[in-house]
Amino acid sequence: MFFVTYLRRELGRRMRQGVFVALGLALGVGLVVTVGAASAGVTKAESGVLSGLYGVGTDITVNGPLWITTHQYCMRAGCEAGPNCTPKGCHGKPELGPQTKIQTPLFDTVSASTVAAVARLHDVAAATGVLTFVYGLKHAQSGNYTVDGVGTGHSPIGALSADRVVSGHYFTAADSDAGVALVDSVYAAISNLRAGSAITIGQARFTVIGIVTGPAGTSPVSVYIPLARAQALGAGLANQVNLIYVAAASAADVAAVQSEISRLLPGDAVNTDGSLFSDTWPAPSGPASQVTGSLADAAKLTSDLGRWVSVLALLAAFAVACLLTMAAVARRSAEFGTLKALGWRTRRITAQVLGESLITGILGAAAGVGVGFAGAAIIAAVAPTLSATDATAIGSMQQVAQNGSAPPVVSGPVSVPLSPSVTAGVIVLAVLLAMAGALLAGAFGAWRIARLRPASALALVA
Amino acid sequence: MYTLTGVTKLYHKDRRTIPAVAGVDLIVGDREWLAVQGRTGHGKTTLLNLLGGLDRPTQGSVELDGTSLGALPEAKLTRVRAKSIGFIFQTFNLIPTLTAAENVEAALIPLGTGQAERRRRTATALESVGLTNRATHLPTELSGGQQQRAAIARALIKDPAVVLADEPTGNLDEDTRDDIIALLEHLWRERGLTLVLVTHETSIARRAQRVAVMTDGHLTIRHESANP
Repeated sequence: MFFVTYLRRELGRRMRQGVFVALGLALGVGLVVTVGAASAGVTKAESGVLSGLYGVGTDITVNGPLWITTHQYCMRAGCEAGPNCTPKGCHGKPELGPQTKIQTPLFDTVSASTVAAVARLHDVAAATGVLTFVYGLKHAQSGNYTVDGVGTGHSPIGALSADRVVSGHYFTAADSDAGVALVDSVYAAISNLRAGSAITIGQARFTVIGIVTGPAGTSPVSVYIPLARAQALGAGLANQVNLIYVAAASAADVAAVQSEISRLLPGDAVNTDGSLFSDTWPAPSGPASQVTGSLADAAKLTSDLGRWVSVLALLAAFAVACLLTMAAVARRSAEFGTLKALGWRTRRITAQVLGESLITGILGAAAGVGVGFAGAAIIAAVAPTLSATDATAIGSMQQVAQNGSAPPVVSGPVSVPLSPSVTAGVIVLAVLLAMAGALLAGAFGAWRIARLRPASALALVA
Repeated sequence: MYTLTGVTKLYHKDRRTIPAVAGVDLIVGDREWLAVQGRTGHGKTTLLNLLGGLDRPTQGSVELDGTSLGALPEAKLTRVRAKSIGFIFQTFNLIPTLTAAENVEAALIPLGTGQAERRRRTATALESVGLTNRATHLPTELSGGQQQRAAIARALIKDPAVVLADEPTGNLDEDTRDDIIALLEHLWRERGLTLVLVTHETSIARRAQRVAVMTDGHLTIRHESANP
């Protein structure tokens, strides 16, 4: 109780200094919380952009090696090496030909039983297969587009979901083998398509039943058709898929599921949010670098400048706290000398000073969290809407085109609102930093007290 | 009580060496009242600091009941001060944010005394110096004499073997000075303390049993009083 009484009285006596130190810590802590909130908001926005590419409810995608040459397709279709398999395709296979439109799977295919095997793995909640390919003239730089053959049921995961339909309607269960298609809004605008329009893929005719858009309006896929119809478009594609969407039972299971799938399908690329396409193409690292536009600039700003500003503010707050504490100890030298004369041990006096610093730190942390919330609210209120373009879709398709298979898919920029969110982790970090600053200041004071000679301290009063 | 043998304390300032206390030999008996007189800057306070273990001699030894204070580690020296030595300072040296009672109580904190016992003994100590009705007042709310009474209570609450008073009346008016000295004398007799009092006033020094004079760091016994 004496400790608390003494502490309370001292803080009351030096209220102005204590408030000054607490405000300094609050500013540093507030900046950490604000920058953390902005960073979390940017990350959330990026994920939203990428989820349009990545798939609905999906934790992992699995794809085989890139199928880059028509020759490989000929081999799969049954043409043996030799005069029957030429750059023009397999002789006698009407769907392949030098001047005809070709369907080239992006990745090597696997059978549907592989999808079932993945779905049976431990900690896998669901798995679904998609057949994705590029349709268009070989080596053409425009006019080609990506087609996904998807399941027509309402699956929780996959390339597409019903809530992305903006006009018309989604597939029904009866459409599993029907000549119907959903078209991406960007491609529909370019090609002047709407519900009821007709498109031709290979020899097959499809009726557009709806227009879809991604969460951020970006998608490398232009047309979605029933999986069975996609598999019927090319020889050797019956019962085949080349992209598996996998949902783990929980976020904590993602890494384990990724390992299990890698063991089941060695040689295939098993991608999570952080490694999309990294095993398939020499891609930039992580989703953040796959998004361009002002969203990416904001990410860089919060990551680089924001982090440095908050670190500098914290260091300045720490320095001020240390200096003021040492000055206060110097002013109280006679008081501490008297306590030493009374027989108070150095550590008892030090505990008093540390306690005062800690209280100041707690006040600074609490104020700092408030400042952080206010900063996040200000950012949410005044931050401009950011734009983002998924560069991965464009870049990756360009690489495919260089290999002679598919041209780039054009997807336009989209607007992304920035919603800063203050996470519990950032609050805890900020509070710990404030406490660390306060204890550091107390430690400096304690060091000064430990060096204090009672006779010298008392002489300051005499 | 105290045995000082060849005690010297040197201070170094720039390139000069200043002997604040030079070769002092002194014996202070139990229950004795020794006054140390001398002009400012001649080593009185330094001598008191050495007696109280607030400083260590450069040469010689200061023994308190056979224990050399200069040889003790800091923690043990602090313990000796906590238990056995009471200090009274010229400027009172009360903690400004604590009340009179809390200042007195502060002397018992190092002894680990329980809160109830501390409060009981504080009340007794304040009563002995006539400060009961000022127990809850801060130092700024007390007169100089009242502050010094509180300081005396603080020095005596732990029943020390020795009280060291450094110019206890230096900041007080004449009437208050007499009151404080009278109080100290009364408590010295009542409790059988050993009292070493530093003063530059002859009228106060003569009330002691013995008067020593510090001149340029050297101590001489000038006067043996008839004060029993």
